[in-house]
Formats: sequence, structure tokens, C-alpha cells
Amino acid sequence: MKTANINFSEPASKRVYDDYMTRIKKATNSLSKQNQDDVYMEFNSHIFEALNHNKEGKEIDILLDILEKLGTPEEVLKPLVADKKLEQATQTFNPVHVFRALILNFTNGISYIIFFILYLFLFGFVFLIFAKIINPSEVGLFYKGTDFLLLGISGNINLIGTRELLGNWFIPVMLLSIVVFYVLITLLLKFKKSINQKK
Amino acid sequence: MYFVILCILLYICQMNETFVINWKSQVKKGTLTFIVLNILKNNEYYGYELIEQIRKHTEIEVAEGTLYPLMNRLKTENLVESKWVEQETGIPRKYYSLTEVGVKTLLQMNTYWTDLENAIKKIVQ
Repeated sequence: MKTANINFSEPASKRVYDDYMTRIKKATNSLSKQNQDDVYMEFNSHIFEALNHNKEGKEIDILLDILEKLGTPEEVLKPLVADKKLEQATQTFNPVHVFRALILNFTNGISYIIFFILYLFLFGFVFLIFAKIINPSEVGLFYKGTDFLLLGISGNINLIGTRELLGNWFIPVMLLSIVVFYVLITLLLKFKKSINQKK
Repeated sequence: MYFVILCILLYICQMNETFVINWKSQVKKGTLTFIVLNILKNNEYYGYELIEQIRKHTEIEVAEGTLYPLMNRLKTENLVESKWVEQETGIPRKYYSLTEVGVKTLLQMNTYWTDLENAIKKIVQ
């Protein structure tokens, strides 16, 4: 479904309206096309109906009053975009959506910061694969004697007693870790979302 | 000396007033969902109309932009559904109505509200 633009008698009103609608588009550009259109149409409808219900006074003053009551798009749409992004992320399993949803939901509590850290781990594994290709000898899962030393890049691999465990299996293990972490994070997000809804 | 006492008294009054204003805002915020669901009980409304109805029934001035994120939440919780309806003006309206789950949930909420209201009345008297 399409919506028409609102017609104004004063050019100044049209400029203010166009600016506001552009800001709505910008504030929602991380959402799917359907959700973007939905938000745009709803705000357009609100402005149109409000204009029709308030005819007394100058057009530009009425419009400015309506937009002021609606609030700045960036502020007002923040929770809406965060919610919709989370819905999208848990439906699609697309890493870009999940990452964006996490950033948008940062302010919604400590649990999302934990999710974010888990996600950083995931990116860490991706980074290590490239690091292993570039610098095979210094990247790996290092043990000193029987104790775990580090997973990553080490310049001190020649120290006595240090050995690398995975060898050629390093990249496959990292790939497997990425998949496991990714599925885990997305399922946890889904679980968290269902808890939120039950509250 | 009197001036200082007067200033302190004014300050205390001011504090009380701020407290009441904050409390009212919390009550409004906490009951907005409840009010919206009750307004949708018998009729379907589009966004602007819904705000007008809230204003008419409760004299609460809703921060208009906040209604839409709230409606989206109610939709994801399956309490409310919406549909776009074409208009002659070329600008469609999005009508909201209660779902079956919404109706059942509202019944529970209304029962709880009545119990709470009775309990509070007893304390206030």
C-alpha cells in the first residue's frame, strides 16, 4: 500500500514537513523496507489527521505544533526501531541484523551488554582465522605444560614448555566455534525476547 | 532569620510539588497501556483518533510520538492487531483493535484493577 504526500498551501509548511519525513526515513533506514514504509505511513497519517482536526490559525503554526507534540523522529522512533530490529534479528539469523539490534538495545539493560561481549568473542574467532592464515606459526591454542596459556596470537611461542595444540585443526575448530557461538547467541536472544514479552 | 525559615519552607513545598508531579507522571505512564486497551475494547481506532479518545476520557496529554512504539509492543505481544484502510484522501489509516488474547488479558487486568481500587479506597478513607 502506498501513501500520498500531504499538500500544503504555504511553501514553508511543505519544507518543514519534507524535512520531518526525511528524518523519519533516516531514523528507520536500518529496518526492512516493509517496516520502513509502515512507520512512514503511520506518521504521515498522524500528521494528516491532526492537520484536518486543527484548522484554526496559520498552517505553519499548526504543523509545527503537531510535529512538536509528536517529538523528534530520532528520539521517538528509537524504542520502535530497537524493538523491530530485534524482531527482525531473531527471525532472520542475519549477523548484521543481530549486531545492529544489540547496539540499539544496549540501553535496555545489562543483559544486552553480555550479549554484546559474546558477539565480540565471535568476531574474535573470525579475526583469528585470518591471523592464522597470515601468521601461522604465532597463532593457535597454546599450552604451557598441561595448563591453558592462551588462544590467540603470541610472540613468545619459543618459551620452554609452550606448545600449540590444534595445528592444522585450528581453522576448522574456529569455524565450528563461530557457528556454535552464533546459534547460541541467537537462541539466547530469542529466549530473552520471549521473557520480555511475558513480563 | 525569618527570611531563612521562609526560604526553607518554600523549598520543602517546592520539593513536595515536584514529588507529586513525578508521581503523577509515573502513574500515567504505568496506566497508559491499560487505558489504551480499555479504549479499544468496544471500537477500533486509528492512531490520532486513539490519542483524542485518551484525552477525552482521561484528560491525559499523551506524548503523541510515544503511542506508536507502545502500539508496536502491544502488537508483538499479540494483544492488539492492526490493518491499513485506504481512504479517499489517498492517505490510508492504520486501525487498531483488540485480538482475542487482548480481550482475555484485558478482562484479567480489569478484575485486578477493581480489586486494587477497592483496596486503595479502604486505605485512603
